[in-house]
Amino acid sequence: MPDSAIPATAPAFAAAAEAAIPPRRRPRWDRLGWSALTFALLALGAAVMVVPFLDMVLGALRTPAERLARPPVYWPRDPQWGNFVKVFSDMPLARWFANSAGVTLAITALQVLTSAMAGFALAKYRFPGRDGLFRFTLGAQMFPFFIFLIPWFFILRYFPLMGGNDWAGQGGSGFLGTYAALILPFAVTWYGIFLMRQFFMAIPDELLDAARMDGAGELYVFFRIALPLVGGGLATLALFVFFYHWNEVLWTMTVTRTAPDLQTLPVGIYLMRGTYENEATKSLQQAAVVVSTLPVVIVFLALQRYYVASVTSGSVKG
Amino acid sequence: MTARLWGATAALALAAGAGAAQEARTIQVATHYTDEQVAPLLACFDAYEAENPGVTVEHQQTAYGDFLQTILTSRVGGTAPDIYNVYSVWVPQLAAAGTLEVPPQDMLDWIAASYSPSTLGAATINGQLWGIPTELSIYALVYNKKLLEAAGYTAPPATWAELREIAQKITRVNDQGNIDVGGYAYGTSVAEGVHPFYSQMFAAGVAPYAEDGRSTNLTSPEAVRILSDQAALFADGITSNAIAVDNFASGAVGMQISANWNKAGWQEAFGDGFADTVGVARIPHDAGPGGTMLYSFLWAVDSTSDVKDEAWDLLRYINTPQAEGQLSCTGQMMAGMGSLTGNAADLATITAGADDFDRAFIEEVTSGRAVTQPNIWQASEVDRILRGYIDQAWSGAMPAADALAAADAEIQAILDEQP
Amino acid sequence: MLSGLLTKKAAPWVFLLPIVLFALVFFVLPVLFAAYISLTTWDSLSPPRWVGLRNYGFLFLTDPVFWRTVWQTLYFATGSLVIGVPLALVVAFAFSRSRSPGVWRTLYTLPMVTNIVAVALIFSFVFRETDGALNRFLGLLGLPGPGWLTDPSLAMLSAILVFVWMELGRNMLLFAAGLQQIDPSYYEAASLDGASTWHLFRHITVPLLRPTILFVVVTGFISGMSYFTLMLVLFPGTQGGPSRAALTTGQYMYQMAFEDLRMGRASAVAYVLFALVLVATLVQLRLMRRGGVEVH
Repeated sequence: MPDSAIPATAPAFAAAAEAAIPPRRRPRWDRLGWSALTFALLALGAAVMVVPFLDMVLGALRTPAERLARPPVYWPRDPQWGNFVKVFSDMPLARWFANSAGVTLAITALQVLTSAMAGFALAKYRFPGRDGLFRFTLGAQMFPFFIFLIPWFFILRYFPLMGGNDWAGQGGSGFLGTYAALILPFAVTWYGIFLMRQFFMAIPDELLDAARMDGAGELYVFFRIALPLVGGGLATLALFVFFYHWNEVLWTMTVTRTAPDLQTLPVGIYLMRGTYENEATKSLQQAAVVVSTLPVVIVFLALQRYYVASVTSGSVKG
Repeated sequence: MTARLWGATAALALAAGAGAAQEARTIQVATHYTDEQVAPLLACFDAYEAENPGVTVEHQQTAYGDFLQTILTSRVGGTAPDIYNVYSVWVPQLAAAGTLEVPPQDMLDWIAASYSPSTLGAATINGQLWGIPTELSIYALVYNKKLLEAAGYTAPPATWAELREIAQKITRVNDQGNIDVGGYAYGTSVAEGVHPFYSQMFAAGVAPYAEDGRSTNLTSPEAVRILSDQAALFADGITSNAIAVDNFASGAVGMQISANWNKAGWQEAFGDGFADTVGVARIPHDAGPGGTMLYSFLWAVDSTSDVKDEAWDLLRYINTPQAEGQLSCTGQMMAGMGSLTGNAADLATITAGADDFDRAFIEEVTSGRAVTQPNIWQASEVDRILRGYIDQAWSGAMPAADALAAADAEIQAILDEQP
Repeated sequence: MLSGLLTKKAAPWVFLLPIVLFALVFFVLPVLFAAYISLTTWDSLSPPRWVGLRNYGFLFLTDPVFWRTVWQTLYFATGSLVIGVPLALVVAFAFSRSRSPGVWRTLYTLPMVTNIVAVALIFSFVFRETDGALNRFLGLLGLPGPGWLTDPSLAMLSAILVFVWMELGRNMLLFAAGLQQIDPSYYEAASLDGASTWHLFRHITVPLLRPTILFVVVTGFISGMSYFTLMLVLFPGTQGGPSRAALTTGQYMYQMAFEDLRMGRASAVAYVLFALVLVATLVQLRLMRRGGVEVH
């Protein structure tokens, strides 16, 4: 298996991913005309990216009368900034937010840990079945999610000894209706294992052997020597997982339909849409959507360099 | 390590079991009503809790479009609520799946005594009454008096031809060619497409499904005529998907076939002008005796509930008038929405205080013109299929006859599955 | 105590134990369970009834809706690639030549981190026929405002556009990273020989970007075929858009399972869709490999 050209540390990689190409000698075709065209194109695209968000903000500011008016009003004349606060009392936004944060952090921690453990084992040890297991993690990535949807539901429901179930899994509701149902099926990520294996393979074996000769046990080698060396990789994986699972809707919705206390932010907003079927009340729904996107946007803006690195790290091959 | 794992699991199981035992007196009630609509009922729950210490009542709200899915998912997942407020057409499916608890005999007697016979029909499948009828919704032609007057009409249409004429006069198109004010409107949800169609069929004197629920009348000449008339409205630009029943509150719709539970929303939108703006008329029909569709909901208890006695007690509490001449809790909720109820005492109270809007709908019930929507097998799936084909006819992709024939084929296959 | 027991031989197994357990419970078992259930009729409230291949027979021979949904899902997946990949490539090209990449990157990757419910709700307003932002804008230009979400012939296209919008940032980043791996000397040599910009693009950039393109296309296809939360939220009602034109196989399966309680048939749908996705992915990999790209 050829090694890829991924640098072993995140800052170096992040810098590589982030830098634009500054050619020393500008090729003949990069004149002012192209520069202007480039700018125009990027600006147009950026506008298309951002304008829908702004449209939502405007929508959140309209009054019910403006929403019902004919002809329809676009620019709010009496902006209801209070809507952004009112949503917190109209809907359990804070609770949803806490659920999202808790569940996503738990999933992230579990996935990073299991990916690191499995990636380390696959990268740094020789044992029978190693290549088979690795090929399994590759193949497993090709299984689309919907094939697991129904089975997971029933496996969690009939899990023995959980949620009032007896040894045969009958009688109760298993893991359903608990946070475990939201977290457990996502405890492992095949992509994460693949990624961490890449990072671990860049660590020279001699480093680990040296520690072993000094008397270190395998757990020490893993936790104290190997893991710190792939800190960048862990960070990029964590970010990737975090953003992906913060926005996970389908499974969460299936499992929390009847457990409103467990609902996460996107799921809660979606399932509450019945309250906002009336045109007059839709401003609040829009305000809720705006508020729901803000935390993620803020986190993203703060950490985007590393997030960008995580997105690009899996695909780049020489 | 393994021993510790099993120990932890056992401890967890014990804790879970203990936790479950502590909450044995919580009654979970699932409805599709929004917080605003259900407010009177929640107040009643508080009163019930005060009178019955040790019992807590929780309300679970679900959007109507998700409601059946949520009930089924919760049942399948073993996390079902104790009391359902369900749409009566789902009862065959739920009852066949063993989801509903058969009411105890004293309950059955009480229901039979307190509810009008016509409403009991909706809650009875194969002779078995499954719960307490609640919200009663009737379809009628709702129209905007101001828009009709502006177009020169003082009376609502009685036939489809008149409806077409009025709608054409009212419909206005904006610069982009999209309908701004619609003479007639439909809606995007399954019910908003299928129920007007059913209502028109009842008005034409042909029920959509056979009495035994094993075949359809969707290919009858009346049905084909109704659908092609509807499609003609789209084809001739009189209505389109741009204008929907939701726009009625904006004063942008001339006429639509809607149910009475929309009243609260319209009262809020039109304010004092409600009585002068919103008119109710019978569903226009060309031939046949006239009529319309009514559907109802019912309160039922889950068969796996561990608080069944408490649940039935709560249900009796909220469906009994608080005092002479007053509405029951459910009745208050219904009246707040503008809906009617099957409870004889409540209906009498509502009728006493009814305005023109209510009276028009009540009349449809008392005159016997309103016929219960049939409780057929896999009703939700059938409605979804029918809506898809109605769409095809409306968009002109299929002629009405072909669309109904295709719908009939698919639906017949499903109806054949029933035992 | 434990670290002492872990020999170099046993360590990998200890590390892999949770993963193997997980794979057994949440991967192998579900796949087998779904296969078994697809051969039964099961409403999950009573025991399953064995029916052999009848569910598959129904889907392949009788059900008019199933193949329609497959076709519509394929349309969605490939449509978003056909529009999204070249667009991302062009934007990535421009991005790599820009002077303030940081700003652009922030703006372009914003949709990427927004949850699907928010995105779908945003566009359910933007796409409104009479007062949505898009049609208002078209009106300003004097163009007609089509029914993006209400016209059956446009419904899926609207979903595609939203999906492209969401994925543009991610694909652009991937291409940008791939682009900067290309040695500028290639360009200089070729342009010194008189090659036009288009020529440079077509004969240097695209071939050298092949691995990235392959990655984007394969992952984009798999996610496009499985996606339906977008359509669920974007189109009101539950029937899958006007005339069910935006009904994807995923949504069809989901409703079949959780609303109609036909678990057996739904599992069969899942398996057929999975087989289609797998075959298509392998075909893509093979095609690209013949083009000289090594993957894994």
